[in-house]
This record gives sequence, structure tokens and C-alpha cells, in this order.
Amino acid sequence: MINREAGVFQTSYSSDMALYTLPLAKITVWVTLGLLLILPLPLMLGNNEHAMSIVNTIALAAIGAIGLNILNGYTGQISLGQGAFMAVGGYTAAIVSSRYGMPFWFGILAGGGMAALVGTLFGIPSLRIKGLYLAIATLAAQLIIEWTINHVSWIGGGAQSSIYVDTPTFLGLAFNNEFRRYYLILVFFLLAYFAAQNLVRSRVGRAFIAIRDRDVAAEIIGVNIFKYKLLAFAVSSFYAGVAGALWTYYLRIANYENFTLGVSIEYLTMIIIGGLGSVLGSVLGAIFIKLLPIVLDLSVIRIAKGVFGIPYESVANFLANFQLFIFGALIILFLIAEPEGLARLWENVKRYFRLWPYAY
Amino acid sequence: MKVSGTMEFFIDLMTNGLLVGLMYALVAVGFVLIYKATSIINFAQGDLVMLAGYGAAVMLGLRGLPLWLMVLILCIGMIALGFVLERGILRPMIGQPLVSVIMVTIGLSFVLQGLVAIVWGAGTRKLELPVPLAPYVVGPVFISPINVVAAVIALVFLIAFGLFFTRSRLGVAMRAVADDQQASMVVGIRVSRVFALSWAIAGLAAAAGGIIWGNMLGASSLLSLVGLKVFPVVILGGLDSIGGAIVGGLIMGAVESVAAGYLDPYVGGGTKDFIPYVLMILVLFIRPYGIWGHETIERV
Amino acid sequence: MGLRKWLVGCLVLACVIGVGNMVPAVADEIVIGGQCDRTGPTKPVGIQICPGVLDYVKLVNKQGGVKGHTLRYIEVEHGYKVDRGVEAYERLKREGAVALLDYGTPIVYALTPRHMEDKIPGLTPGFGRADSTDGERYPYIFPMAASYWSQIGAAMQYLKDKGGTKKGSKIAYLFYDNPAGREPLAIFNRICEMEGYECRDFAVPAPGVEMASQVLDITRRMRADWVVGHLFGNAPSVSIKELKKNGFPLDKVLSLVWGAGEEDMRTAGWDTAQGYLGMQFAGVGRDFPVIQDIIKMYQAENQEVPEYVGWVYYNRGVLVAALMVEAIRLAIEQEGLPVTGEKVKKGFETIKDFTLGGFLPPLTVVASDHEGGGWVRIYQTKGEKLVPFTDWFRGYREIVLDEVKKAAKAEEKK
Repeated sequence: MINREAGVFQTSYSSDMALYTLPLAKITVWVTLGLLLILPLPLMLGNNEHAMSIVNTIALAAIGAIGLNILNGYTGQISLGQGAFMAVGGYTAAIVSSRYGMPFWFGILAGGGMAALVGTLFGIPSLRIKGLYLAIATLAAQLIIEWTINHVSWIGGGAQSSIYVDTPTFLGLAFNNEFRRYYLILVFFLLAYFAAQNLVRSRVGRAFIAIRDRDVAAEIIGVNIFKYKLLAFAVSSFYAGVAGALWTYYLRIANYENFTLGVSIEYLTMIIIGGLGSVLGSVLGAIFIKLLPIVLDLSVIRIAKGVFGIPYESVANFLANFQLFIFGALIILFLIAEPEGLARLWENVKRYFRLWPYAY
Repeated sequence: MKVSGTMEFFIDLMTNGLLVGLMYALVAVGFVLIYKATSIINFAQGDLVMLAGYGAAVMLGLRGLPLWLMVLILCIGMIALGFVLERGILRPMIGQPLVSVIMVTIGLSFVLQGLVAIVWGAGTRKLELPVPLAPYVVGPVFISPINVVAAVIALVFLIAFGLFFTRSRLGVAMRAVADDQQASMVVGIRVSRVFALSWAIAGLAAAAGGIIWGNMLGASSLLSLVGLKVFPVVILGGLDSIGGAIVGGLIMGAVESVAAGYLDPYVGGGTKDFIPYVLMILVLFIRPYGIWGHETIERV
Repeated sequence: MGLRKWLVGCLVLACVIGVGNMVPAVADEIVIGGQCDRTGPTKPVGIQICPGVLDYVKLVNKQGGVKGHTLRYIEVEHGYKVDRGVEAYERLKREGAVALLDYGTPIVYALTPRHMEDKIPGLTPGFGRADSTDGERYPYIFPMAASYWSQIGAAMQYLKDKGGTKKGSKIAYLFYDNPAGREPLAIFNRICEMEGYECRDFAVPAPGVEMASQVLDITRRMRADWVVGHLFGNAPSVSIKELKKNGFPLDKVLSLVWGAGEEDMRTAGWDTAQGYLGMQFAGVGRDFPVIQDIIKMYQAENQEVPEYVGWVYYNRGVLVAALMVEAIRLAIEQEGLPVTGEKVKKGFETIKDFTLGGFLPPLTVVASDHEGGGWVRIYQTKGEKLVPFTDWFRGYREIVLDEVKKAAKAEEKK
């Protein structure tokens, strides 16, 4: 069967080490890529920039979530500073583009690089402290970086703490509507996704996992904890920086309020719901967390109006807070039902079909 | 009014800071309690404080409800809530990865915020306590009565907790469970009961915190942010030390107040935000488990 | 397992209902929209402003709509988060909105490029970006009320004219430590230098509830003569209590527009807050024809009139809606149907001497001045109400306009 390994023989080392070895997996991946590429077309026909903006937001969040998962899920270092590192990336890109006129791809790389640097710096405490202590130290990073952006004009752009950038252009084509921006983000998203998938299967990835599981044992067998922990912070912050820079180009502005503590917690929520230690999980988690408020918003209002005949005005307060309540309740229920997240659900599905029609 | 010189200003800042520090300590203790007994980091502690604050404000707003009755009802209610939360939400999560449990408390925090707003509206409510607003003048120092009351309440609670944990059977049992769950079960301590109890007491601490902070800040969703403030205090003092929480709170309160008073003009404000964390990181470099925290010995 | 299936089922159901259900605009309707913050950090304000808007729109529809067309106002909750604000904007654009209320300074910043591109006017009354007064640089952003720059200018003018400040007076500026709070600083410092005041600023870090040391400094060490406050959310009530605790006379405290609502007074305690001065850009109280009409509307439907009708923030919501309606009306009169964002923009710029029955100072908007003049009025807390303390005025206008020009030049250089 196309979904089982039986009968599939690899004839070279490279095909054996490939990311997707099952025929079904390969087909699925190509089909998904194709779908992603043509996704905007039906939306363009319907002139639905709104839906496109939702997709864009999800894709951007996914990049950041993947980065956080590398640090948190694979290396076991809890970090609450994701928002701050994104801010670093975002502002670097904005400064580089608006003040020095660099093109957007340079801005993105610069943003990622700067964030990686800062992230490594704040990752140094991880060499001495662990667990919650480390989490709170990263919280310190969040607050310190926020404060710096707010108070140091050269970085933050003055009293408003926001820096505008021009619409990014590439070979004369300006990314000035949601559909074009989608392709810009898609490129980076795919790069981020496949880079992460490969990273975690590589030597470096295995070192990360070793540190997460038993770091003392890892050290004994020769994994350089110092180097790999810092590397994890660096890679994860690079992702965050790229995500932040992309946000800046997407919104055409770098504003630190996009990157507050609430955002850091949001990303943590994404990877926990999506599944720690799974790149696909990060993406699923991003979709879940970003889509849920919008879906709740639309559906709760419709249900209230349609089923109960209540107009918006009299229950607006209730509805808005009800959404918050449902959001929290869903997280709790979800975690009680499946504590390892959406990725585990997906794994269960795959496992079921792998054995189908047999039971075991 | 006496003209305040530099020394008086310093004393003012210091006293103010210490008193606020005690209030931090009160919330921190609730947090540490849960961590000590169950190893769970309760992100929703601040929201419990908020819930208690709203409850207190609403009850006081009802005509004819005497203060002591309100306090009694609130404490009983929060204890009951602690039991319910532990049973309903944390019990099913036993054995699950720690991060998932933390996430559940974060989800709980959203639930509480939404619930409070649905039931009691989103506006800020006044929490009236029969404490005068005008300051006492003690020598060169202005002390505001509410801070004193809060400090007294906090101290009473903290002493009560201290006695509970050292003298009573239940308290000693809790410490045993925090130390080694398996051994406690061997000696016949019912671990599940201890878990429930720790959440209940945390609820009680939240009640006290809610009344005091609610009076200072007004009962609003902002109270839940007090929980966030408490993190550096807890880390500084050591996650599993109640004494650490108290001392950590005092230190943090004092440092925050004094630093803000002196450093703010030079850095354009906002030092209060990150000074606690800077202090915390510095301490962590010297003592990675907090000043009084227990060093966990890792076995491979 | 049952729980899981149930959970998944619910999610799917919600998605299906929600996503597949965007109602297209009815042909004769004019759509306007806005974001709202009823759950986030500014919710004390949001829960009053948003109903204000909704109520006024309802009133207009009951009175026959705008030139016979019904108005549909769509409110989208964004919790003061920028990405949700962007999604809200796109959603409203899709529904065909011709004017939007942008709620929240960071959201205004983030959405400015989109407003310009899509040619949909955005209103930012009393907050937003002060440099958007310059309608020639920001044709589609309309502050429509005194910006923070105008507010601080007016505040300083009041201090000079009626507050008794002179050379050497000590003025403290207590503000929320974020971009909105810092915006007036440049003008504050400039005026201080010009007049020879001794000025210091005190930042209150988010979430704006810890200001004990700042207030200690103001009252004890600096011993300020006047405090100008620029706080919002829950901070104003805390500041009132702190200042009172330290014995500072509240009638020497002047707050900018977002720090002087009835809710703030009530939380601090009406008796605590006596004498506190607050700046407003819209009328306060129920004594205006438009508010009376709204009250009659509630009574006609046998509904209880909510207590916040007539309060500071509610009235501002009414103001925003009224401005939108006026602009649309002018757009239809001058340019005809169908209504588009561009026509509404022109409509805004032809608003002249608009007072809404004494609710406002005569508001006149032109292309170079999207603020409408920067008029404010000071109210004082007396008893359990806010009573008018001064008439409509503005101050240091030349300095404010100069800063606007400076900002424009700085942008052009980039």
C-alpha cells in the first residue's frame, strides 16, 4: 500500500535519508505545496483580501512558532521572550530599510541575525539555570528589550516607538496587496519549515533532543551542552527575528506593541497546543490559535443573532468576554483530552491508517 | 509639611517599598504553596487574586453586609474554589508533561478573566475599606494607613502559614509530600488530599491578596497582572521556600521603590518594570535556585 | 475519546457557521465600521465608547437614516491587539465600509498605510497620531478632536492663564510609559523652556498601577505646584488615590482627555476625587439634545437607560458616530451616490461649524487641519458629577502647528 513502508525499497543513501520516504507522503507533500501555491487564486477571484490576510497572519505566526518549538520542544528550554526577539528582528529590519534604504530581503536577514545575537546573549543564563527559573529569566529579556525600544530613540524611532518602512519591492514588483504579500511570506514559510524539519533530524537536532531528555547524560557522552544550548537559542531567535521582520514588512511598520508579553505567551500556547517537539505541530498550533478568535467572533455573533434573535448591541460586552472565556476553556479541554497536542492527534490518524484494515 | 531632604525621601521610599513588598509576599506565598506541594506553576494565581478582589468589591457593594461577614464568605468561597479547581482541572492532568499543566493554568487564567467580566461587567469596581486615606506622619516619614493595614494582614497570614507548616500535622504532611511523594505515600499520607489542600490554601492567600490589592488598585482585570509581578519575587526567594517568598517580596518591594525613585529621572522612567528582573538575574547567577531554594540533585 | 470527538465536532461546527456566513451589504445600506476593545487593557473606555457609537447609529436609523439610507455599523472586537486590528480592518473593508473608527494608537499607526492605499477614512478622535492633523500628508486619517499635542498645549495655556504659573513654577508631567503617553513630551518640554518653568516628567510603567515612588517624588521631593496627567485605562484612578494619599491638592491636577471619566472618579471614590480637573473634547452629561434623543429611544423600547449614557467616554462614542454620519451626509449631498471612501473623505473635509447642539465647539475641518481646531474644555469633579470649569479653548496653537510641520519635514527627509 502506498502508505506503508512494506515494499518500499531505497536504493541509495540519499533517498534513504530523505525527509519523506513513503510514496503517499511524497505525493501528499507535492500536492500540498501545489495547493499552497494556488491558494490565493480563488480568493483573488472573490476579491477576498480579508481571508488572505488571515492566512498571512497564520503563516507569519507559524514561522515564529517553529522557532520557539526548536528551543522549547526540542531543546527543553522554556522561553517567554519570543515576542521580544521578534521585536528585535522587526526593528532591525525597519531601521535597515528605512534609514539605510536596504531592500527587504537584506532587512529580513539582518533582522534574523540581530535577533540571533540578542537571543544568544539572553540564552547565556540557561547554562546555569533551568526550568521555570530560566523561563522567568527570558521574561526578563522580554521586559528589558521592550523597555530599551521604548526609551532608546535611536532604536525605537523616537517618541512613537514605531518606524515606518516602504512597501517592499522585488524586481520592480511592489508587494502592495495581500495576495502578493502572501507569496512573499510563503517563500519564507517554506524555507523555515523545511529547514526546521531537516535540522531536527540532523546531528544538531539530536543533540538538542539529548539535552532536553537528559542533559547530564548528554554531556557525558560528549555533547557540548554549552555550545548546543546557545545554538538552540540562536536558531530559535533567528526564526523569531525573521518572523518579526516579515511582520514589519507586512504591516509596513515596526511597532513594539506587536511584540509584547501577551504575544510571547500566545506563541507558547501555540506550540503546546500544536505539540512540543514537532515542526508540523507548530504550524497546526499556529492555525488553531490564530483562527479560533476569528471563528468564535463570527460564529458566536451569528448564533446569537440567528438562533436567539439578540441584536449585537445589547450583548456586545457579554459576547466579547464570552469569546475570551471559550478560548481559555477550549485550551483546558483540549489539553485534558490530548495533552500532547494536535501533532499527536495527527500521528494517531496516521498510525490508524497505517495498520488499516488490520487492528494491530 | 516638613521639607523633605534626601534622607527623608529615602526613608519614605524604603518604607513604602517594604510595605508593598509584604503585599507581594502574600501573593507569592500562594504561588509557592502550590509549587511546593504539586510542582505546578500556577499562572492563574493573579487571576485568583482578581476574582477574590471582585468578589470582595461586589459583596461590599451590597447594602448592609458587614466587613467581617464579607471576609468570612470570601475566604470560604476561595477555599472551596481551590478544592474545585484542583479536582476538576488539575486532577485529570496528573502524570501529564509539566508544560501541558502550565498551559492549563494559562487557559484557566483566560477563563477566569472572561468569566469575571461576564458575571460582573468589565468596569472597575471600588473596594471600600474602612481605612482613612490621609497619611500618618511619623517623624519625617509619611505612612499611609492602608499600607500599614495591608502589612499587618500580610504578616498575620504569613505567621499563620509558618505555624501551620511547622506545628500542625497537616502542615508537616504537606512538607513531606513536597519533599518526596513516594516516601510520603509509604508513610501513609494521602497525597491527593495534600494537593487539594495546597490549592485551597492558595485560594485563601488569593482572598487576602484580593482584598488588599483590590482596595489599592480597584477591582479590575488589572489585578491579574499582580500575578506576573510576583514571578521575580518567587524566583529570587526560591520557588519552594515560603520564607523565601516573604523575604524576596520585601527585598523586591524595597529595591523597586528606591531604584525607581533615584534612577527614573536618569533613564526616562520605567525602571520599576525591569529592575526586579535584573536583580533576579544577578542573584540567579550566584545562586541558581534562588536565595533559599532547595538545590535539586539531578540523577541521570 | 468521547470528549475528543465532541470537541472536534464543536470546532468544525463553529468554523462552518462562522466562516460561511458573511452577510453581504444590502443595496440601500451604507456600511461603516470600527474596532473595539471590550476585553483588553483599555476596556474601561471601550465598554462606553462602543455603545455610544452603536446607540447613535441606531438613533439615526430610527430617524430615517442618512438621506434615506440605513446605516450599518459593524463592530469588531480586537482586544487592543494589532494583528486582530488588522484582521478587523480587512474584514470591515470586505464588508464595504466607507469610514472606520480605529481604536487605539498602535492600531492607528499600523493601519495608516492601509487607509492611504485603500482610500478609506479612519477616525482617531482624541488619540492616534498627533501629526495626522496635517491632512495633506495623511489625507485619510482624521483625528477630528484635539490631538495629544493640542491637549498638552491647551493644558499649559490653562496653567498660565488661570493656574497661576509663572517663571520658576514646578510642573510635573505624570504619564503612562508608552508612545501615546510620551507623545506630548516634546511640546511639554518646549513650553517649559519657553516659559521658564521647572519641569520634570514621571513615567508610569505599564500596566499603570504602580506609581507610588513617582508620586512620592512629585509630592515630597520635587514638591510640584501642578501635575499634568496623561494616564489611561486603570491608571487615572490609582493616580488620584496616590496623590490624595500624599496630601497633594487635586485641584492642582489637570488630566488630559483619557484620564477623567466618571468611572475613574467612582473607582477612586467620588469624595476622594473632589476638585480633580479633567480635559474633555466633547460635552459631558445628559443635557444635550442628542443625548436626550437617545434616552427617549431607550424609553420608547421600554429598556432601562444604562447609567453610562451621558458619561464622558460614551459621549465621545456618540461624537465619533455623529461625525461619520455628518461626513456621509455631506458626501451624498455634494458627490452623490454610491458612497465611497473617497467621497466620504471629501465630506469630512467640508464639515463646517458642526456643534451637534452644543455638544462640541464649532468644528471645522479642512484639508490642512484634520483636527478641527484642537478645542478642549475643562471639567471639574464636584459632588458626584463633572461640572464645566472652563469654556472651550485651545492653547499654544502656533507651537503645536510648528511641531506638525517639523514632523512633516522629518518624514520627507527619510
